[in-house]
Amino acid sequence: MAKENAVEKEKEMTQEGFDPKILGFFCHWCCYAAADSAGVSRYQYPPNVRVIRVMCTGRIDARFVVEAFRCGADGVFTGG
Amino acid sequence: MIVTEASRQLLEDCGVDSDRLSLEWASAAEAPRFVELITGYVSKIRDKGPLGSSDGEVSRDTIKRRLAAAVKAAGARKPRTLLGNLAKKLSKSGDYSKEAIANGVKAKVLPAMRSERISHELRILLSEAPLDMKSLCTQTGASAEELEKIMAPLVKKGLISQKKGKIALVAGE
Repeated sequence: MAKENAVEKEKEMTQEGFDPKILGFFCHWCCYAAADSAGVSRYQYPPNVRVIRVMCTGRIDARFVVEAFRCGADGVFTGG
Repeated sequence: MIVTEASRQLLEDCGVDSDRLSLEWASAAEAPRFVELITGYVSKIRDKGPLGSSDGEVSRDTIKRRLAAAVKAAGARKPRTLLGNLAKKLSKSGDYSKEAIANGVKAKVLPAMRSERISHELRILLSEAPLDMKSLCTQTGASAEELEKIMAPLVKKGLISQKKGKIALVAGE
């Protein structure tokens, strides 16, 4: 039981210590505007996403996504 | 969606957990939904840990090397043409279900992307040091037959040479 607790605690600690780097591709007309209005209306959300604005989600290419991971992103969020 | 599916399968091929790539929709008026999506996604990635530490992922160095090759593969002409053809075919049939897209990409585009990826990775590996067949197989994750098929045109072009079981990049390249 104690060991289980320790493992869980360790897991919690590593989770807290790990700040994922996430790259966001946001559509100018939808998700980007949503993110903007979320900011204006003072909603709280995690600051881990670095945003790249694209004029349309259709602009995104497989190359962008793979390159993002190659440069060390832990996740890629595409918002249409 | 087709491009995302292709990226997802390419990432999976490189040994990356494809759940790390997400595609979601939120309209300009849906700020609460956007916040929900981002919060959920960030906590999901936090659970997965850094790149290369999730279930079924290979080591970080291997991932980095494979991704460098995959970037080139994603930009290569053949897989891109195939992807375009698939998009045309899907729009003709009007079937945009997840399964139809996934199966189409898997059958038509993935083989070309994979062989391009392995071909580029081969050159990256060999530019460091000559290697034998077995270690090339384990490094790229390809089977011996697959690797031989990919190497044949490279040998023909005189880009790589095969001597005494060691495979090396021809100098002056």
